[in-house]
Amino acid sequence: MTNRWPSRDWLDQLGVGAIVLVAIFTLSLLLFPSLIVVIISFDTRAFLSFPPQGFTLRWYEQVFQHPVLVGAMWTSFKVGVIVTTVCVALGVPTAIACVRGEFRGRAALSIYVLLPHMVPGIVLGIAVLFTGALFGIGPSIWLQSISLSVFVLAVMVRTVMSRLQRLDPALEQAAANLGASPMQSFTTVTLPLLLPAVLAGSVFTFVEGFDNLSVTIFTHGFRDRPLPIELLAIVQQTSSPMVAALSGVQIILALVAMLVLAMTIGLDKVND
Amino acid sequence: MTAASAPESLIERLLSGRGIWPAVPAIIVLLFVAVIPFLILLSLGISDVVTVRGAIVSQEFSLRHFSAALADPLYWTTFHRSLTLAVTTTLLCMLLGFPVAYLYLIGGKWWRRIILVLTIAPILTSGIVRTYAWIVILGGRGVVNSTLIQLGLIDQPVRIINTHWAVLIGMVQIHLPIMILPLIAAMSRHDPRLDEASANLGATRLGTLRQVILPLAAPSLGTGAALAFTLSYTTFVVPQLLGGGNYLNAATMVYEQVVYALEWNKGAVTAVILMATCLLGLVVIAGLTNLASAWTRAGR
Repeated sequence: MTNRWPSRDWLDQLGVGAIVLVAIFTLSLLLFPSLIVVIISFDTRAFLSFPPQGFTLRWYEQVFQHPVLVGAMWTSFKVGVIVTTVCVALGVPTAIACVRGEFRGRAALSIYVLLPHMVPGIVLGIAVLFTGALFGIGPSIWLQSISLSVFVLAVMVRTVMSRLQRLDPALEQAAANLGASPMQSFTTVTLPLLLPAVLAGSVFTFVEGFDNLSVTIFTHGFRDRPLPIELLAIVQQTSSPMVAALSGVQIILALVAMLVLAMTIGLDKVND
Repeated sequence: MTAASAPESLIERLLSGRGIWPAVPAIIVLLFVAVIPFLILLSLGISDVVTVRGAIVSQEFSLRHFSAALADPLYWTTFHRSLTLAVTTTLLCMLLGFPVAYLYLIGGKWWRRIILVLTIAPILTSGIVRTYAWIVILGGRGVVNSTLIQLGLIDQPVRIINTHWAVLIGMVQIHLPIMILPLIAAMSRHDPRLDEASANLGATRLGTLRQVILPLAAPSLGTGAALAFTLSYTTFVVPQLLGGGNYLNAATMVYEQVVYALEWNKGAVTAVILMATCLLGLVVIAGLTNLASAWTRAGR
């Protein structure tokens, strides 16, 4: 075969090589922008330039001494915690009902719960803003948190659902056979087994609470402005290395979040 | 015994999760924070509203704002621009993203790790931070211009930022991970025995890619395209920051109408049109995905 078609094998190698080259190009496109930002955040010069001419941690100090930024980070941290708490409280039971439920309309329930995440964030944000105004509820950290919770609830439900579906029912059966009440088998067997998925889901809900702009921009409080809003304003005003340092802080947070994902469900299960 | 078992059986029934009960709190919250708000948004699109300091004082049915929007050429150019940008972004993401998924399939353990890290890390990073990176690269004194000047290729910085190209580059790079992730999931489910069988039947590696791997990945390609399209069609971060504030797409238009101009009816109409056209785009993508799967199945 290969003797009759000497060029076929060669062309095949070339084609696969070309695809791999495109893949490597794409991967470097994903890596380099963030890498350059991190490099620039250590530059000694006060203006944006490349390549850097020194090393300093001054910009990082500035970020953490900037009262507005520290306040915004604290606000966003609170939003992240509230969103995660609400999503765990609402999402875990919902996932159980979606997987274990024996009632009519179970499929409809999972669509209903997953739907808000498919809607563009700005549409949800405006809808909640208008509705709040109709009932005299102005934008605030609470309006922002509840609308973000609804927006990302789907992620928590999906992560827990996929873990539940793969859970071996024999384990709970064994607990029941050993004399555990349903309550006991739930708290001692099911819940610990679900914990990694809940943690992984929490990573996503926290990050969304901390970083989301599309829903946040319409629902955040004007007194306690969250980080994405301040960040957007700062990026539009200046490109000082302090912005790079602030970006560096966020990139480090993202890496920590990824580490948690790797340790809980494994990175290859993220989209299951 | 019986007295004690009665409340326990209630808890048991709740915990067994067989009923709809565990989901009730979520259903109620979604009703008040998603379903009702969408209905209200729709109603604002088809009515005339008078607001006083952020509170609505009167509302009457009227299609005035819808017809005004449809008659306004600015709407047509804006939505046309957004749609073109989103479709181009989605196609480029597919073209650049699929090879990564293929490398994930044929690569070893380390390639897989690198790809997972480089795909998931950006998803967990703020979109503003990732867009700012492109300001650093493409800006007047940015990486590209500094390098070109130092190499002596140009004397004056070239204007890259605040152009259509800057927006497109940023859009593609920012939406790549969301396209790649479903593809990777498909590749990790992919059965390597199929490729061996294909090779044993005399197919080349490219032939296997075209006739086995690509058809099996078609649904995930559709999922990725749907995600990339929705996000790129409705983002305002990238156009706002890389388009220099004068690159108006549908999302920035909604934002300006609601936040700056405080024209709620207009904003509601634009948001409804945005959502309707977005859904239409998703239906088209789903249709194309089905067509592609059916077509590749017929081809075999």
